[in-house]
Amino acid sequence: MRNKKINIIVLAIFVLIIAVSVYYIITEPINLGLDLKGGTQIILKPVESEGSEVTSESLDKAMLIIMDRIDRLGISEPLVTRDISNNIIIQLPGVGDPDHAISVIGKTAQLEFRILLGTLVSRTGQNTEFVEFDPETGSIVYDENSEEVILVDNINSVMPIKTGVLHTDIAAGEIYLMDKDFNPGDFDYTGAETDILDTGMVTGRFEYNRDTGELLLVDADSGSLLGELLIDSRTNAASLVGPVLLTGDKLAKAGAGYDSNGRIIVSLSFKDEGAGIFEDITRNNIGEQLAIVLDEEIKSAPSLGVVITGGDAVIEGINSLDEAKDISLVLQTGALPVNLIIEESSTVGPTLGKDALNKGILAGIIGLVLIIIFMVAYYRGLGLISALGIAVYIAIFWGIMTGIGAALTLPGIAGIILTIGMAVDANVIIFARIREEARKGKSTRIAIGDGFKHALRTIIDANVTTLITAAALYRFGTGPIKGFAVTLALGVIISMAISLLFTRGILFTAAGLPGLASPGFIGVRKKEEQ
Amino acid sequence: MNRKRLHFNFIGRSKIWFIISAVVILAGVAGYFIQGGFNFGIDFLGGTLIEVEFEQEIGSGEIREVLGREGYGSSVIQQTDSNKYIIRIKAEEIGKPISTDEKTRILDALDEDIGINPQLMQDRTVNPGFGSILIRNALIAIAISLAGILIYVWIRFEFRFGATAIVTLAHDVLVTLGVYAILGREINTSTIAALLTIIGYSLNDTIVVFDRIRENTPQARKFGYAGVVNNSVNMTLSRSINTSVTTLFPIILLLILGTAALKDFALALTIGIISGTYSSIFFASPILVVWNNKFSKYKK
Repeated sequence: MRNKKINIIVLAIFVLIIAVSVYYIITEPINLGLDLKGGTQIILKPVESEGSEVTSESLDKAMLIIMDRIDRLGISEPLVTRDISNNIIIQLPGVGDPDHAISVIGKTAQLEFRILLGTLVSRTGQNTEFVEFDPETGSIVYDENSEEVILVDNINSVMPIKTGVLHTDIAAGEIYLMDKDFNPGDFDYTGAETDILDTGMVTGRFEYNRDTGELLLVDADSGSLLGELLIDSRTNAASLVGPVLLTGDKLAKAGAGYDSNGRIIVSLSFKDEGAGIFEDITRNNIGEQLAIVLDEEIKSAPSLGVVITGGDAVIEGINSLDEAKDISLVLQTGALPVNLIIEESSTVGPTLGKDALNKGILAGIIGLVLIIIFMVAYYRGLGLISALGIAVYIAIFWGIMTGIGAALTLPGIAGIILTIGMAVDANVIIFARIREEARKGKSTRIAIGDGFKHALRTIIDANVTTLITAAALYRFGTGPIKGFAVTLALGVIISMAISLLFTRGILFTAAGLPGLASPGFIGVRKKEEQ
Repeated sequence: MNRKRLHFNFIGRSKIWFIISAVVILAGVAGYFIQGGFNFGIDFLGGTLIEVEFEQEIGSGEIREVLGREGYGSSVIQQTDSNKYIIRIKAEEIGKPISTDEKTRILDALDEDIGINPQLMQDRTVNPGFGSILIRNALIAIAISLAGILIYVWIRFEFRFGATAIVTLAHDVLVTLGVYAILGREINTSTIAALLTIIGYSLNDTIVVFDRIRENTPQARKFGYAGVVNNSVNMTLSRSINTSVTTLFPIILLLILGTAALKDFALALTIGIISGTYSSIFFASPILVVWNNKFSKYKK
């Protein structure tokens, strides 16, 4: 009698859970993953660089800035998260121009003001050519036949003045910036005087950081920073700039527009403190060129003629108004505190995702029908109960997915199909056991009770091991694997609950009804009972 | 209908089963060397994948011609429908993943020469270094779940059951990877997820048989340990086969009906489930008997 009561309570709880699930299924749409509804996913990896460390705080800040940028791009329902290896994962449903969004979101937007020290050119007789710099390898590229590589001051003037000479020590693999009077021809490469430092004409040595792509000019003795070689975006020439004097974080406003000559510009205005620093820079460097550097690229380098008060400046050298808009957008949201590299970007069109969803559902439905036919053919009445169990399983699974707002992904569909298989398996184990007990000559009622008792341990052991796998997958998996782990764990838990509680309750109730307690109901023939 | 319970002598023919497993795994190893290793996808090696829908039905030759002109003649071109193709440009062949500009150029060229539907199907670019992190994470996940399983089975059963379960899982993973090596099928993130699922499934299968062996072990005095194992396998046989059949229904349907990505996943699962069922009957149980014969604990 007590068992009967417990059964009724268990079944009542299930009816309640099913009702809640059905309520969620009806009221809430299922949250589809990007691979099913279409959209763009970007994975950004933070990299350390000079003066920017990857910390939890800097990543939080980077994520806020990214959210702000996505907002300003007018993209709705973005999802910005972080994974176990500190990668930032951005999910954008349905973006018109994913490539543009990716380029804006991932832009570091590090704005710097530095003094332009000069530009590298290679000289052959009267001809000079710009020297290029490859940040990927740290190498300086110039015509081999040129007589020398020199640093010149203002390339915009009619007669640039030579301010330094480049010396490449091939044997040591080092590059030095020498005094303007240094003549490589005078230097004895084979004799005793092989140490360039003994010449007394070394201005500094270039040091390359492979990770950040920075080629820094440091004092050969003290190692203190003198400058950095950057690319001038206007000419692609390698140019030398001094240390950073002011950065974009003191910026108050940025806007895209045209100047009085109709050229595209980004206008900048600094906050109180920044305006003061900017004024000091213009005062202390009259006659110099102020390089405006955006993400390690010189955008423009106006000559400083007068002291500028009020903190207004402009960036020139922009190709299109769209580019100017992007620049002002990223400057307004602020620079990312860490550099981010795009590790992976993927876009799924809406039609492909829909196709996958429809085909997955179709395969699932036909598969279910086949399973039910098989189960009923093999286990008779028990098969019908397992069909009922499967229906309950799907209702609860779907209800929980919509209830907690978990995203259904492609691997998730596969996970569901697999766990349906496992849910059926639990039934198979129980039914096979019940039949076995019945064949020993026990009555249907007792066979059901003993079958469950034996099957319980098997089902728990078999499912706990699957849960261990799901847990490891969730903890260490990335992206889609994680989604799969969630569906796997959810499926295993629900299927266990259903087979051990729901199916059991139904079976006992059914066995209590006259007519259903016959051996034929569990697919055992009478004569086998002997 | 003959309802007599079938009873097979599995353990007596252990040698045959071991030879079958060895042949299948060795074939996979041979396939691995003949094919020159696994065919890792862009998820692991880095590169770009673009799926486009053309305005009309078209052969892969025309696409290759256009790609060749743009300098990407070595791309892998896979048809997914009469007018839909996946183009894979692996990073290792050109040194780094292609840039957005290069991708735009390829799409423009394809549009100009053949005509593509402007609605992009799929587009994916992965940095080469990122794949090694994925592989590392996947290996960590596998190692940790195996360790967890070993400990759990050890506690619930005996150490040798845990060890045998691990060897059995390795068997199924090797068989699946072997088939991938022979077929030259691409291994991507879905394949890894599938391998992990196979581990879970095969284990489930093996544990059910072990559970019955555990239950019947007291009868070892009467039937001998080999007899107990053989009886247990026979008792769980209908369950092993029924479960595999029901699980395979939806998976084989996915293999037939699914999109390219779903088919990839379903293929690995199909192989793994067949191997997992085989191994729980013909591989794991005989190992337990061999183990017992070597370190006699119960009556042979």
